[in-house]
Amino acid sequence: MFDKVWKSAAWKNPQDVWSSAGARSKAALHPVGRLRWYYKWPAHSSNLWRLRYPFTRRNVLRLRGVYNPKSLRAEKTIVDRRPVYWVLGLAALAAIAPFVESSTLLAAGAIFGIYAAINLCWMLIVGTAGIFSLASPAVVGAAAYGSAYLSIHYGLPWWALPFVGSGFGLIFGTLIALPATRLDGFYYALLTLGINELCRVYVVQSKLFGSATGGLYGADSYFPESWSENHQLLLGFYACMLLMIGALFLYRFVNGTRLGRILRAAPEKKEAFAEATGINYRAARIRVFIISSIALGFIGGFYAAHFRGASPSLFSFDVVLLMLAMIVIGGLGRAEGAVVGTLIVIFLEKYFLEWGPMRLILIGFIMMMTVLFLRNGLFGTKLQFRAWRNKKKSEFRSTRSEKGGEMLPEEATETADKDQIYFRRFDKMQRDYLKGLIDDDVIEEHRRRPLGQHSEQLERLLVYFRRAGQVDKYAITMTKPFKEYRIVALSGQRGVAPRLVDDKIYTSENEAYHAVFLRRVQDLLES
Amino acid sequence: MAQIKIFGYCDRLSVKPGDAMNFMVSADGTDRISAQLVRLIHGDEHPTGPGFVEREIQSTANREWPARKQYTQVGSFLRVADPQNRLALSESFTVYAYIQPTLPAFNVRQALVGRWSIDRNEGYCLGINPKGYLEFWMGDGTEVDYVGAEIPLVANVWYFVAASYDAQTRRVTLYQEGMLTRYNSLLSKVTPYDYRSHVTEPMRVKPRNQDAPFIVSGAQDWHELRGHFIGQCYCGKIDRHGVYAKALSREALDGIRSGRELPKDGLVAHWDTTKGYDARGIGDTVLDVGPHGLHSVGYNKPIRGQTGWNWNGREDCFRLAPEQYGGIEFHVDVMIDSNWEPTFAFTVPESLRSGVYAMRLRAGDGTGLAEEYVVFFVRAAQPKAKVAMLIPTASYLAYANEHLSFDAQIIQPMAGQPPIVAEIDVEMYKNQEFGLSTYDRFIDGKGVCFTSYRRPIVNMRPKHRMSSMGCTWQFPADLSIIGWLEAMAYDYEVLTDEDLHREGLAALAPYKCVLTGSHPEYFSEPMLDASEDYIESGGRLLYMGGNGFYWCVGFRDDQPWIMEVRKLDSGSRAWEAKPGEHYLQTTGEKSGLWKNRGRPPQKILGVGFTAEGFEESRPFRRMPDSYHRTVSWIMDGVEGEVFGDFGLARGGAAGVELDRYDLKLGTPPHTKILASSGGHSDNYILVVEDVVYMHPGFGGTQEPKVRADVTYYTAPNHGAVFSTGSIAWGSALPHNNFDNNVSRITKNVVDAFLKDGPLPGWGWIADEKQWR
Repeated sequence: MFDKVWKSAAWKNPQDVWSSAGARSKAALHPVGRLRWYYKWPAHSSNLWRLRYPFTRRNVLRLRGVYNPKSLRAEKTIVDRRPVYWVLGLAALAAIAPFVESSTLLAAGAIFGIYAAINLCWMLIVGTAGIFSLASPAVVGAAAYGSAYLSIHYGLPWWALPFVGSGFGLIFGTLIALPATRLDGFYYALLTLGINELCRVYVVQSKLFGSATGGLYGADSYFPESWSENHQLLLGFYACMLLMIGALFLYRFVNGTRLGRILRAAPEKKEAFAEATGINYRAARIRVFIISSIALGFIGGFYAAHFRGASPSLFSFDVVLLMLAMIVIGGLGRAEGAVVGTLIVIFLEKYFLEWGPMRLILIGFIMMMTVLFLRNGLFGTKLQFRAWRNKKKSEFRSTRSEKGGEMLPEEATETADKDQIYFRRFDKMQRDYLKGLIDDDVIEEHRRRPLGQHSEQLERLLVYFRRAGQVDKYAITMTKPFKEYRIVALSGQRGVAPRLVDDKIYTSENEAYHAVFLRRVQDLLES
Repeated sequence: MAQIKIFGYCDRLSVKPGDAMNFMVSADGTDRISAQLVRLIHGDEHPTGPGFVEREIQSTANREWPARKQYTQVGSFLRVADPQNRLALSESFTVYAYIQPTLPAFNVRQALVGRWSIDRNEGYCLGINPKGYLEFWMGDGTEVDYVGAEIPLVANVWYFVAASYDAQTRRVTLYQEGMLTRYNSLLSKVTPYDYRSHVTEPMRVKPRNQDAPFIVSGAQDWHELRGHFIGQCYCGKIDRHGVYAKALSREALDGIRSGRELPKDGLVAHWDTTKGYDARGIGDTVLDVGPHGLHSVGYNKPIRGQTGWNWNGREDCFRLAPEQYGGIEFHVDVMIDSNWEPTFAFTVPESLRSGVYAMRLRAGDGTGLAEEYVVFFVRAAQPKAKVAMLIPTASYLAYANEHLSFDAQIIQPMAGQPPIVAEIDVEMYKNQEFGLSTYDRFIDGKGVCFTSYRRPIVNMRPKHRMSSMGCTWQFPADLSIIGWLEAMAYDYEVLTDEDLHREGLAALAPYKCVLTGSHPEYFSEPMLDASEDYIESGGRLLYMGGNGFYWCVGFRDDQPWIMEVRKLDSGSRAWEAKPGEHYLQTTGEKSGLWKNRGRPPQKILGVGFTAEGFEESRPFRRMPDSYHRTVSWIMDGVEGEVFGDFGLARGGAAGVELDRYDLKLGTPPHTKILASSGGHSDNYILVVEDVVYMHPGFGGTQEPKVRADVTYYTAPNHGAVFSTGSIAWGSALPHNNFDNNVSRITKNVVDAFLKDGPLPGWGWIADEKQWR
């Protein structure tokens, strides 16, 4: 045990790596820092304040105070700017409308409002609940036909149509909700598509629903007969805008509350996991189906009152596809996606009527480009851009910096504890020096006697290894007392057990110590 | 089948025949455990030694017992006994507190003061939200409403915070002001933070108060199997806090914040955390100076005697200025007392001989975690033996469930080796329920100053090896001394630090000769006094280890199972107490090293801590003084100059931690060094308390003070002290089945110490007239 230390190789000066002749990174060091060109409000400090949206627990714009990490100034940040954009966007639409000369455009605007409302309700099913249902137009159509029929034959006034439509929606929605709990994905889409087609074929052939006239017309409408056509168009536009705003609120209250969170926690193919965590996703899906079907029925009733009836085109496959295009272009699972996607498609489809079928090809082309190049429609571009920028950033950095080497100025901006920046430099120097100490002799020296006094060369290596941070630091576990040892890596996180690093078994303490040493040497050489 | 795990502890560590004790057991994966009383003889399983040795003892407890899983409350808090529900406020009210959060942005909610029911969403609470903002919330059982501050709380800075609820307007107003002074916080005022935030919002709900108690640093929760418990505990300090039954205005709160007089109108409770200190420290009760006297009681030892928001940096102890020491420190991960239900009771039989015992608990196959030893120590009802071993239970407590291998970056360079962890260590590391040792830090980085034995202690059991050192440590290492006493067939008895602390000299006085454990590091003042008095009155002490009589600790009479230590200034310390927090809450005395209070171990033992290194032990080499006839009898039967070149602790008798002779530190001047070790590796480094300026060369190959000294000196009334100066000494005893030169030397000393009258060699004290 107390034999002489097995001697190994010659001395190297550890300061050499620090000398000006030592190896240095050739990376160009660019200035970093971004000028703040916009104004940020200071926090309220000792002034009393805070606004809530009425009747809610939510603060206006979710303003949050933060300390600027560079100046420590307390300043306000708008966490959610979307309400600002919504108000500005909708106000602009409302303000422009009276100045629009083109009746086509106004009519298209009204259709946009209706389709946006439909898409928002549909989004609750395909976006929030993640169920691929194509039956939403069928619900709207059924409600439109039903309420138009009642209005024509029983003289129902226009204001009753949306509510009657809701009733149709409820019935229809319940019917199509049932298979949704049994079928999934593709099969459910096919089924709903079939229902859609069935409805279309039915109304096209049914005398009752106007197979002869190509639709059912003559329902009561909210347009005062005395108004000029332009005023009627304007009224229609505003009414449809109101409908859309109503749908936006519905979307917000389903998607942003408990029901929405439950549904988003249980998307398709993840149901089992959600169920295991106590989520009753079936009940939630049926609820969202029923809620959105009632709303779609309401829209159907409104449709009948707006267009004075209903037409089989409501059920047609190309309408379903157009709606699909709206949602895909805008981005799935977002209200702004549904609305802006609808805006684009309706504008192309209704305004450029003279382009003929070319405009449909254009829509298809936009949709294809969206699918090919965007990750989640137009409104996913922000995240996509950031991810792309981060990717570029890493690529750029990796071409300039060494792994584990000194930080670039860019990296330093991301490190709150500046001590870490120095540690990186120091650690790099250490490793550069220590790598030069590793040779067969030093490994043999350790193998012969892992503990106790060693040559300076080995001692320096060991001190470096032993004082490493706790995360993934090697240790040994004794699986059978004094017979079996294995190597583990510590977690460095209280409560988290060490992990076994491999399945090798060592039969003595010294063998295990040496195995740890070899792993550390390998890690050092690889760094 | 689930893996079977058994953990247990007993309510008393030191018992006498006839005493009743309870065993608390938690069993996972089984509902039956079998108990067997065993006498422990040897605990180190190292293959070069005798291995684990126990003897089964007949007992009424030897049978199967029903057992179940028991739950443990983790986290410290204050609970207010409020039988009249005066704090169940649903009309206008205000709560306020001075706080210094240490981990505000912890990604979990932390409750500061309030009466909040987590499971029922009822009551009101001022706390910190997961993002680190001050928040006030209240609920009516179905809905919860919140008001958050605008600016996040900065860690380690004092604040005055309050929330007032006006039932008329149904508005809550949140009040947050920084209280930073030149002394009290981490940062100075030169840091350009603005800590203020004042927010008011209308509430959608009215608070409803049902069953939840008023808690400081926590809120009540409920679990199907566990029943009620406290969750959302807080990390940081809380100073004075209180409740008003009216919505206080900004001006009124400004008045309270400045520390001036409290408005009387509407005051429900004001907990003056600075009240109740006396010269002997302070207990767990926080006094309410309001009209109803709603005192609160700490659970899991909230740490008191800590600097408050108004600490001025001049007074360094709560005894000098209690009004500046209102800080109570809370931790989310502290666990002091498991408070389990007794699984079975046991009365120590009258016939049971004094010694080290354990209740061996097994279930299933009885291996691995399905086997547990609950260790306790049986004293003699009437001391009869001449030899006693003083079991260093205070030091066992200090190391109880230490996490060094897992959490401490310093441990591998210190120990000079990678740790070897066992299944039980990993189990302990995975579960907060085992609590921490005084070698650990809380999750917020603050040091652990309280430890107790009313919890399962995984490293106070036979066979356990200290993972970071690769050898046995404390209790299992001390069993090698017990094993030696057995092998030498001495009639011995045991007593513990607890007995010594309580009874003083009377506990040691009956014995001719007392052996310490291998590492009796933690000593209270009564323990130190009693040891000193014992030697002075003719007692004979064998100091069987290293780094003894080192830290000053405190116990409160009503809680002998809890020990307190504050690590400070110097010494090999796992953490460092903050400025102004160097005094023991439990006794009011200054903690830290005994050396720094004028009592270095050398004064009593002849040697004191000098170096530690752990990875390799060395033999001793006789010193010339060992040939002097006053002491040469100690070396009878030792061949050659070198001894102790073997041992279960890294192959030598001089190792792990070492002590040295030092006249400048009070070694009695007539002390002789009988032997010293040498040639220690550079991993053995001179201890920091002996270094005033750092310079290269404090390692074992360059520093002469890095060594262990075996010393001997005589005391008044035929007393004497023999010191081994090395923790590895005890682990060298079992070598070659206890037949070796270390064992021989120890036996020479014990045999001589057992004889009445003068010690051998006493007469060889004339002036030397030498020809050679």
